[in-house]
Amino acid sequence: MAKDKAELLEKMAKSVVEMDDDLTVELAQEYVDQQYDGYDAINMGLAKGMDRAGQLYEEEEYYIPELLMCSDAMYSGLEIIRPHLKQQERSGKSKIVIGVVEGDTHDIGKNLVKIMLETSGFDVVDLGRDIPPIDFVEKAKEIHADLIALSTLMTTTMDGMEEVCQILKEQDLTERIKVMVGGGPISKSFADKIGAHYSEDATKAVKLAQQLVKEEIRC
Amino acid sequence: MLDRMTPMERAVAMAKGETLDRLPCNPNVANGVARIYGCMISEFNTNARTIANAQIASYRRFGYDGVRIFTDLFPWAEAMGAKVSYPLDNTADLAQPAVKDINDINSLQPADPYKDGRLPVHIEAMKYLIDELGQEVPCAGGIVGPFTNAFFLLGVENMSKLFFKNPDAVHHACNVSLETCIRYAQAIIDAGLTPTISEPMSSSTVVSPKHFREFAAPYIEKLVHYINERKKPVTMHICGKTNKIWEDVVNMGIAGFSIDNVEDLEKCKNQIGDRVKVLGHVDPSSIMYDGTPETVRQAVIECVQQAWDCPKGYVIMSGCSLPVETPPENIQAMMDAAREIGYPVDPEKLARMQTARQG
Repeated sequence: MAKDKAELLEKMAKSVVEMDDDLTVELAQEYVDQQYDGYDAINMGLAKGMDRAGQLYEEEEYYIPELLMCSDAMYSGLEIIRPHLKQQERSGKSKIVIGVVEGDTHDIGKNLVKIMLETSGFDVVDLGRDIPPIDFVEKAKEIHADLIALSTLMTTTMDGMEEVCQILKEQDLTERIKVMVGGGPISKSFADKIGAHYSEDATKAVKLAQQLVKEEIRC
Repeated sequence: MLDRMTPMERAVAMAKGETLDRLPCNPNVANGVARIYGCMISEFNTNARTIANAQIASYRRFGYDGVRIFTDLFPWAEAMGAKVSYPLDNTADLAQPAVKDINDINSLQPADPYKDGRLPVHIEAMKYLIDELGQEVPCAGGIVGPFTNAFFLLGVENMSKLFFKNPDAVHHACNVSLETCIRYAQAIIDAGLTPTISEPMSSSTVVSPKHFREFAAPYIEKLVHYINERKKPVTMHICGKTNKIWEDVVNMGIAGFSIDNVEDLEKCKNQIGDRVKVLGHVDPSSIMYDGTPETVRQAVIECVQQAWDCPKGYVIMSGCSLPVETPPENIQAMMDAAREIGYPVDPEKLARMQTARQG
């Protein structure tokens, strides 16, 4: 008997939280077989699961390994859903350029933020890790991004973050392209100092991004 | 030197519960010693003399209470087959784990500290250090603990997933990793220094206390026992959140615990200070790197207020290794604050110092 849409969405969310990639794939397949809406599967199923996982992370029930497993489950479901997304639903999203600053090759944090942003409806361009400051700005200009998200785990790359903000200032782009920063050594005081916005973790990064984009629309 | 006691005299007096000239203070300068000495950080990868000289130069300038040979987190994984990248003037980083395919996990071999990778360079540097400073200041050799090192053998994401998918593989990697740690600890002890353990991946910022107990604690405990059996005390540093694993760590038999600035120093002292020395925890980033000498001074006062009466002793320290570009005047300010506070610590004087801001 065919399960109804709400039930499948709830089960998909649950299978992501419970780190079960096989079950997530199975449910996603069942969902697309029923020809339910693909975008809802992401928003109300997979992303909801990731949200709950993020919640559990904040509550210190989940840790980095659990989040990685959840994101694997989410991605495997996404693979099934993606071909069934209607084209227009993917356009008109806010764009974000994300990456790890030059000098650092740790990218777990960045990957988590990227997944969270993607599943929250942002169009994310991932430059990868160890990226020179100028590249962030060039890419943001090229794709008309609203935000640049910079991540680091190492104190040594904090200057690179400042440089990105500096380049934007020099090119008079600070109003158009906002910068958000995060990662182990980053503090709010540091972000304030360089003229960026600070996010403490992946879940908060999504809220911050949504806020920053909203502000932009208001201007 | 401004101090009446050498760091060694101070450490000995502290261990005996005798009076001191001031609290011990270790800013934890790390690779920033290259800036003080004037060399490229990449020279540390090949030149033992330069590592020792840079450590000695920085100690001579600031007079802090411990020197340590430790350049980055990866020499042990590298000695077991991982690839490490060496920026010209920055800290080395992991480029590729030792095991690419999990089926190759049985090929992992423990490292020989006298032969493999950069380990011989570090051992040689330890000998120069102990020859020149051994009488004057406690000299340590840093080890990355067996659990953290295993992450660099298997790859960080990969090992995290293996917790769920193949726990035996994780145990195997930790076990081989432990053997490398034990051999290296023995080499440190043979050179006449004291091992210290860094276990950043054990942090509850990264892994759950449950996984810590399952995969990390059994191996770290064996390393601590090995060192203790050789009549050496051992201090451990874990970055990030640790309050849920304090009891586990203390029960391993460590002598000192170095606590990150994200944790509550006073709570830590109250909970475990009756059994271990507590070291910490001035914020290395927002205070030491980003702050001014006065914000450093205030941060030191705050830490001392919280932990000076730790039954097993308290050491003023940064919450983690300092960023390479930490302004030297901030490092100096940390030492100055320790000297200004003096000994015995007087809470009323601390309160007065807090209101009388300088500069």
